[in-house]
Amino acid sequence: MENLEFNQIRDLDRALIDSDGQSLNADRLTGDWLNTDRNTRGLREITIERTGERFSVSARGAGTDGSIDWLAKSVTVLANLEEEAGQRSIALAADFDFGFMRAETYLRVNKGVLVIVLFNTFKDQSGRTDYVTREFFYRPD
Amino acid sequence: MEFAQLYDRVELDSKAVGPMDLSPLPGVWLNSNPQTNGIARMVMSEAAGRLSLQVSAIGPDGLIDWGVAEVQAYGSTPTARAGAGFSCRFDFGFAESFLQGMIMKGLLVLAEIRTFKDESNRADYFVREYFALEHQRY
Repeated sequence: MENLEFNQIRDLDRALIDSDGQSLNADRLTGDWLNTDRNTRGLREITIERTGERFSVSARGAGTDGSIDWLAKSVTVLANLEEEAGQRSIALAADFDFGFMRAETYLRVNKGVLVIVLFNTFKDQSGRTDYVTREFFYRPD
Repeated sequence: MEFAQLYDRVELDSKAVGPMDLSPLPGVWLNSNPQTNGIARMVMSEAAGRLSLQVSAIGPDGLIDWGVAEVQAYGSTPTARAGAGFSCRFDFGFAESFLQGMIMKGLLVLAEIRTFKDESNRADYFVREYFALEHQRY
């Protein structure tokens, strides 16, 4: 441990060094989630799936005639150092790319609610402002 | 206009289009938790319409200067003209920090996504902390 490089004390947290990935609790994150705002103009639903060590994140965005499919092109699994009730859990960083827009997001569960924060960057020349949004989801079952 | 969610589908007022008002973001941001073992202090600066961020984190013998990174600013909607958030990346060789901040009720909520690039086998991690703008009015 004394040989580990760091530039903040947090890098030396024992929980990071002992982590084997499998031991992190993903149960609270995986599954289907519905937006708490039924009239959202953002994401209506999110699905998080786990296959072994890999996670996938997909979503349905509110469209004019139904939903628009979102599928994360990359998902990073993160030990969530915000412990809840003393339990270690995970958070995810998920990136979506639509060509005209990129959304860099992070997802975590707080008190049973899935929270996603999206940093949206427009790559077209539409003049729209890059923007940040936050939305909340619950489990339908 | 392409969109991936209805939030993106907006009508732009051509008279309102112009540089973003970045004034909500610059200043000295202090971690609300004096016991933090991560980022303690951030200095956001603006020059020629561009933002940069200097970060200091807690080390064993005081603060460790991370240096300065370029910042991308975000509004709160696709038509907003005022800065409401930012992101930036620090690459230290052995690790990388991707910082994503948003201002809520005067507080800066900072998410740090820390990924290790060395062979230490440490878990990448996520942490979220609150920062207040030092204003020196009281």
